[in-house]
Amino acid sequence: MPTFEIDGNTLEAEEGTMIIKAADDAGIFIPRFCYHEKLSIAANCRMCLVEVEKAPKPLPACATPVVDGMKVVTRSEYARDVQKSTMEFLLINHPLDCPVCDQGGECPLQDQAMAFGRSVSRFTEKKRAVDNEDIGPLIATEMTRCIHCTRCVRFGQEVAGIMELGAIGRGEHMRIGTFLDRSVDSELSGNVIDLCPVGALTSKPGRFNARSWELVNHDSIAVHDCLGSNITIQSNRDKVKRVLPRSNEEINECWLSDRDRFSHEALVSPARLASPMIKQAGNWQTTDWETALRFAADGLNGIIERHGADQVGGLAAPGSTLEEFYLFQQFIRALGSSNVDHRLRQRDFRNDDITPDHPSLGMNVVELEDADAILIVGSNIRKEQPLLGSRVYKAWKRGARIMAINPLDYEFQFDTAYKEIVPPNDMIACLARTVLQIVDGATAAHVKRYTEDSAGRTERGIAQTLEAGGNKACILLGDVALNGDNASILMSLAQQLGEASGVCVGVLPPANSVGAWTAGCVPHRGAGAESVTADGLNARAMLEDPRRAYLLLGNEPLLDCGDPRAARRALSDAELVVAITPYDVRETVDADVMLPVTPWSEMGGTFVNCAGVEQTFEAAVPPFEEARPAWKVLRVLGNFCDLDGFDYVSMADVRAGIPNPEGNPVWGFTQKRWGEVSSDRTNDDIDLVRITDVPPLRIDSTVRRARSLQESRDNPPPAVNLNSEQIKRLDVAEGGVVQVHAGNDTTRLPVVRDERVPTGCVYLPAGFSETAILGAATAVRVIRDI
Amino acid sequence: MGKSISNTLQSFFLWELLKGLRLTGRNFFARKITVQFPEERTPKSPRFRGLHALRRYPNGEERCIACKLCEAVCPAAAITIESEERDDGTRRTTRYDIDLFKCIYCGFCEESCPVDSIVETDIGDFHMENQGDNIITKDQLLAIGDKYEKRIAAARAEDAPYR
Repeated sequence: MPTFEIDGNTLEAEEGTMIIKAADDAGIFIPRFCYHEKLSIAANCRMCLVEVEKAPKPLPACATPVVDGMKVVTRSEYARDVQKSTMEFLLINHPLDCPVCDQGGECPLQDQAMAFGRSVSRFTEKKRAVDNEDIGPLIATEMTRCIHCTRCVRFGQEVAGIMELGAIGRGEHMRIGTFLDRSVDSELSGNVIDLCPVGALTSKPGRFNARSWELVNHDSIAVHDCLGSNITIQSNRDKVKRVLPRSNEEINECWLSDRDRFSHEALVSPARLASPMIKQAGNWQTTDWETALRFAADGLNGIIERHGADQVGGLAAPGSTLEEFYLFQQFIRALGSSNVDHRLRQRDFRNDDITPDHPSLGMNVVELEDADAILIVGSNIRKEQPLLGSRVYKAWKRGARIMAINPLDYEFQFDTAYKEIVPPNDMIACLARTVLQIVDGATAAHVKRYTEDSAGRTERGIAQTLEAGGNKACILLGDVALNGDNASILMSLAQQLGEASGVCVGVLPPANSVGAWTAGCVPHRGAGAESVTADGLNARAMLEDPRRAYLLLGNEPLLDCGDPRAARRALSDAELVVAITPYDVRETVDADVMLPVTPWSEMGGTFVNCAGVEQTFEAAVPPFEEARPAWKVLRVLGNFCDLDGFDYVSMADVRAGIPNPEGNPVWGFTQKRWGEVSSDRTNDDIDLVRITDVPPLRIDSTVRRARSLQESRDNPPPAVNLNSEQIKRLDVAEGGVVQVHAGNDTTRLPVVRDERVPTGCVYLPAGFSETAILGAATAVRVIRDI
Repeated sequence: MGKSISNTLQSFFLWELLKGLRLTGRNFFARKITVQFPEERTPKSPRFRGLHALRRYPNGEERCIACKLCEAVCPAAAITIESEERDDGTRRTTRYDIDLFKCIYCGFCEESCPVDSIVETDIGDFHMENQGDNIITKDQLLAIGDKYEKRIAAARAEDAPYR
């Protein structure tokens, strides 16, 4: 280890450490703009020039490795002089508009100009001005302020994986922009706002809204994916103004997905429900808590008396907290029913009895980037779990081979070594052929029933790569795999493949699913995966076999359930629907009473991420109007229904009853279930196989109400997505409206050309009321609109 | 002994009263300095810090750009600002309240303002009649600015050489 001196302090650091890093670790500040710990070294801002003994010229601290015996001085008159000169050059073209700049107050350029800048400018020539580009609804640009540090460019190349911003021109004419006047659509694009050391890239939704010095920080956890990114919620006068990432190397490093960053817009939107409401004689009336809770409790009690407790069903959104899940299932079970579930989109529950205690990534989040081979099954990991996708990208950059078996040819930021784009049911055959490459004997006999063909190059390649990867390889099952009609078979096959090739298998469940399983918010298991005596109905059965009363915790079944058609019917036929929701859901839920509850920013709670990490957070701001934390609502509702065990005084009381989730257990079934593949076609000649997934910005009530996110390009309006060959075959016009038939139900949507869709298939996204009428149909007929 | 005699004599000749009357008599004939407020006013420094106002540019555009420096610098936390992007893309306040009860008339807001928008006028006599009137809003502040712009501008011009 080289020993060297910085400002008279004798230090030691690893070989190859840059001076700036060694100085940072020792607490010595060297000014910088382009250097960022997580990005490659560009050394183009020259702000970190320092004096090094025996060096003929000042050296950039960010690009000079420490050497044994080196003597660095960061504050000598000579060093100060070069730093001041650099600052003078940087400020030549920088406008003096700090008072209107959103970066003002948290701007490294502003801060360092105070320390290293001259008080008067000597520049009398013409200043440069740069046109702004509209790069989408999330990032505001003011490119005249840019100092060309290229952090945003390097972020795109190195972390997000797509270079959407680049530097064009040289010298005076250099500017940062999108090459083709496109918007910046990366799912991680918001991070460039944090990275930009000046006010060139700022947040558009929060534009001119707040000043950094008036914001109060609150630590919290992001809720929209299963990663549980650490965030800081910033509020001003009890209103959430901004969400920033909080560094946690084990989980989100220093990044945050756009979905987690901008979803807070919904929290202050007019869509929030301000007070309890009851529907009486078809009219919604605002009421007080007492009346609303009495109404709900009397309704529930009446239905239980008349029809029995099993006529009550409870559906919880996967984004609820651990404590909410626990109280919710406790409430439903105390009523005498076991119909409680959070797996709203899941279709196949055939292996419920043998599932592990809870879903899991099967490893630490950090381990993912060390993998040598990753097989992605049924997942658009880049949009579904943006920061896990970024870890996969890191693994790929390191040389890992990424493989995918998907129904859509998702646009990943990494190249796939092997990919198979097949209709959902053929994914089973494809996986089965891969398994058959490795296993033989009795297991092979089970697997053979799923395929008749012999393995192709892709399957052979996947099997070989996984086997070669061994304990540094993994298989990840995503949204499409877990919520398909044959998910149980896919899971069994994936596990078989994992066991045979010695790689770990993980699933990517939505939001706080791990917490839901831990809290017992599933019909067949209690809290802590205890077996329960009465087996209830799962989310699918509850809607297909309608109940008379439903309790909805934070979800809108029409947009959140696997079969929205059944959901719509079940809710409209039900005698009582109690919607416990932060938002006014009158448009999407046929409810009878709405109880306003707080979203995660206004209450404390616990989230458990896909790697089993349990993270607790506190409320950032007080509840909106009459809204109350859901645990309080459920507790009082329990009292109103005269149920025992609802005497919690604090959240800690609730938490005490829930067993801790086991840290990072290996995921896998106790046995494999080789069920029958449900067919996805009724008439092969005419029908198209429907591929469906939930677009990344339609996943929950909050994201759907975040205005800027909804306007972004990741959220195209619902459409009939067909590839060009299919468009030709069906003789429909691109952009023209067509009819989509599923059984007797029809919807009319425009055609969009989408080459990701395999021939013979149509991609119809879920999460839109326009496609809800199609229900869970796996085969649809597309005909020209007359 | 001597003291008590002198006290007795002073009491007897109403000496204290005469001393008082001497002062009264002197002021009775002296030049009067009382002004008939509000008809008459004493002269004020151009730096007088009284009631606040928000100024406009000559073209009628409000000066304030919602930088919130005055809010940040205010030692009494008397200023409350909310801002947003106006339709034309400029940064503007949607709320600019000053609590005149909290304000200590230190003039920091005026000093911090990069566009000379918030100023303290020479108006020192104002009152409120209802509870809540102590908080003056953006519209009121702009109205004060519009009404007294000439005076405000003149005072600023007079003080300009010393700034």
